[in-house]
Amino acid sequence: MFARQFKVLLLLLVLIASTTFGSAEPGGNGDGMRDMQCGGACHGDAGQNASSSLTLSIQYPQQVWVGQPTEITVEVSGVDVSHDEDLVGIFLLSSTNANADTPLTDGWEILSDGRGGTGNYVERSTDGTGTSIVHTWVVRAESVGVRNLYASVHHGDATGSSQGRPFFGVSTAFPVEVEPLPENAPRLAQEFTVEVTRDVGDDIELELTTEFTDAVVIEWRTEDGATMQIDVNESEEDQWKFTLPASLKPSTVEWRAILSGEGPEQTTPWFAMVAQVPAENTDSAPIYLQGIAMALLLFGAVVALQKPRAPVDDKVKIYDNTEHVAASISGGHSAPDEGQERPEVAPIPEGGLPEGWTDEQWAWYGYEYLAGTYGGGQA
Amino acid sequence: MISSNTFHVVTTELVVGSFSLAGVAFLFCLLSPRLPLFFSEKQTASDSVAHAALLFGLAATPFAILSGLSSAPGGEMSSALLANKMLFSLSGAGLALGVLVSRWRNGIEVWATARSSLIQGLSGAGATGLMLLTASAGGTFTRGESLLDWLHLPYNEVLLMPTFLSIGLLLLGIACTAVAFRPSS
Repeated sequence: MFARQFKVLLLLLVLIASTTFGSAEPGGNGDGMRDMQCGGACHGDAGQNASSSLTLSIQYPQQVWVGQPTEITVEVSGVDVSHDEDLVGIFLLSSTNANADTPLTDGWEILSDGRGGTGNYVERSTDGTGTSIVHTWVVRAESVGVRNLYASVHHGDATGSSQGRPFFGVSTAFPVEVEPLPENAPRLAQEFTVEVTRDVGDDIELELTTEFTDAVVIEWRTEDGATMQIDVNESEEDQWKFTLPASLKPSTVEWRAILSGEGPEQTTPWFAMVAQVPAENTDSAPIYLQGIAMALLLFGAVVALQKPRAPVDDKVKIYDNTEHVAASISGGHSAPDEGQERPEVAPIPEGGLPEGWTDEQWAWYGYEYLAGTYGGGQA
Repeated sequence: MISSNTFHVVTTELVVGSFSLAGVAFLFCLLSPRLPLFFSEKQTASDSVAHAALLFGLAATPFAILSGLSSAPGGEMSSALLANKMLFSLSGAGLALGVLVSRWRNGIEVWATARSSLIQGLSGAGATGLMLLTASAGGTFTRGESLLDWLHLPYNEVLLMPTFLSIGLLLLGIACTAVAFRPSS
């Protein structure tokens, strides 16, 4: 008994010992809006994280105006020095609570993550980046005041003794003072939002709404390309339109606006416009039809193959000869008529129970007694 | 309220966990007659585990499918991989339902003969395999890696049949079901 329990216990211990206690996910989790620990989902178990040796810093303009887009740049240094990170997840955070700590919870709006999204988390490959990664978000503060921003990283180690281990690092606080915009300074309207994606092959017309602005110059650049200017048309007062040329392959172009007017000239951050291969526009009806057809076919095939060969009642009719046996045993005297159900307990003889018999014995062996096959019965 | 993404994670974990347990139990049921007496005695218990886990997993499957559809970025069938997930999961659900109905109609006798035992065991394990393929495709879609990466499955290619062939399969399925439920003479 104990030997069997010991074997089961040993098996469980072997299974537990053969698992890893925590693991980075080499494929990543994808860009998005995430808390510092991704709700425990970025790495298998946040409690198993080791400390990252990467150095984190945040850069931002000297003056951050309320209601205006601002570049926030995170620099990750020491890449591929102590570990082979392969993929690094970079967070922009407003606190280190590990819960409700995205910039959105502290009065920031993320206009662009530089990769066609508006999340606070991006995953960057370390291949060909040298020893540092620089990533820029465009954000907008809703109100005046000092706000802390933090950078954080999640990564693993692709090789060496730490292979597969999850690493985590977080920067110190970087206080950003959000100031009111100078009076009459040219600016983007408060309701300005920016397009961050488009389809490959499509040019895109963008519209800017400004205030206190007399002229707008638009500059754009491709990845590793020179900066160029685009013609801007003022459709009506403080409404400006321009067209970004089409991209022939999935790539990113950046553009910015230089606003001039009575107040000091303003230059917006570089806004990233990501050209993506358009999603396949498929008709889902044939897929549902095929799925349902396959489901029904498999269901029908299994049930048909497992169909009972003959109903249970027929089997009972064929093999259950109890009535014939009882009739032959009793010589036809005590057997009930065909179609009449035999009582469960045999009828008690006129003289009462045989001597020495109990009611229970009679219930079990009464018919055998009457048939003379048990207990010296009447037959 | 939780988002459809989170709900999808919860329901898929229920489905995958239940189906995995069922799959192991079905394989045990299938192999137990060939195992030493100590194991073969456990077939009845394994049968209960297999079908109960399969029933639970099947109950969670519609929630996983519906939450998956609503959480798919870019639309329900915006990629071949999502289409494959739909085909795998519906096929697995159909197979699992067939296994459960067969068990309900035949009782423990489903393991009485080598033929029915083989059909029941392979169908149960097959349903598990299809659900694991679905989960693997989901892992590839969201994380870029999955348990079954070593198989190098072509998730980005859909074997989509012409509509007339799907209708033919549907009719064949209806015919099989009708035969299965027609009273024996």
